[in-house]
Amino acid sequence: MIAAVGLVLGIVVGLFLEPTVPTWLQPYLPIAVVAALDAVFGGVRALLDGIFNDKVFVVSFVSNVLVAALIVYLGDQLGVGTQLSTGVVVVLGIRIFANAAAIRRQLFKA
Amino acid sequence: MTDVERPARPGRGAWGRLASAFRPGVKRGHLLPALLCALLGFAFVVQVRSTQETGLEGLRQSDLVRILDDVNQRADRLRTEARDLDDTRARVTSGSSGSRAALQAAEDRAKVLGVLAGTLPATGPGIELTVSDPKGKVGSDVLLDTLEELRDSGAEAVEIGSLNGPAVRVVASTSFADTRTGGGPGSRVVVDGTELTSPYRFRVIGDPRTLAAALDIPGGVLDVLGQDDAQGVVSQKEKITITSLRAAPSPRYARPAPEQSGE
Repeated sequence: MIAAVGLVLGIVVGLFLEPTVPTWLQPYLPIAVVAALDAVFGGVRALLDGIFNDKVFVVSFVSNVLVAALIVYLGDQLGVGTQLSTGVVVVLGIRIFANAAAIRRQLFKA
Repeated sequence: MTDVERPARPGRGAWGRLASAFRPGVKRGHLLPALLCALLGFAFVVQVRSTQETGLEGLRQSDLVRILDDVNQRADRLRTEARDLDDTRARVTSGSSGSRAALQAAEDRAKVLGVLAGTLPATGPGIELTVSDPKGKVGSDVLLDTLEELRDSGAEAVEIGSLNGPAVRVVASTSFADTRTGGGPGSRVVVDGTELTSPYRFRVIGDPRTLAAALDIPGGVLDVLGQDDAQGVVSQKEKITITSLRAAPSPRYARPAPEQSGE
């Protein structure tokens, strides 16, 4: 409950504050968002499986974001930032799909 | 993958767990996940906004370099294409105008040559020379001399004929002959196979005064005719039109030699 409220609250704050993304953060923010989305979907799945653990969620969330940002950073240093970003997005996208499929099975048995 | 069907726990299904999760109330352990979710929502909105707003400024340096490269290459390609098309256009226009000029020149030249070769009618100032020869003493030699005199004085187109009979265009290969060798009374002159009878008439295009003066010099054509008891009358004309034509024979052996210069 409180997590959903937090999500909505963040969206509202973002809409009202209209902050600009600092330049150093610009390459990492989209990847970080996708990684966080993956963590959230994983959390929802765990919740429906009845194995949700807030500590696990926090750790997976933070580590997902950090690892994604690190990969992009390394890719930028190596000159393959664009390709690595694409790779990370693809992997995270697959994970999100898998989690979404698990959630669907739990809820609709299909 | 991980999405393997799991047996639902008895009593409490997925929907129940979902409902309990959304039950009002604050659990202490859920505060941090809520904070992270708020962060996610915030970042999501910010990113969406910056994506909508920014065109190029959100891109990293390597992407910008790549885009710049692409643009430069495209510009180069288009420049090259434009240059090629310009060249082609210049070539086509100059080629067509050049060939038109060449065609015009060739036509002009063909007309001039046609006048000289007797294949085209000609008009211009000139003289008429009428030779009356009542005693029949004027032979082909006299007529040929007359023609040579006219040519020497710049005759450009010549026609020779009987006063009220056939006329022959005189060209480079025109022949003069007598029906009887040596001439004499009763002999007639044959020009290019056409028999002519006195009085003869030359129609000549050229400078009228020069032609008339050339015929009139002492010991010239008119004097010679007078010695032969014949009479030549010259009349200068502003405009003489020669309509008799001669077919141009196509050479059997001679062919145009290729030009030596590369023009």
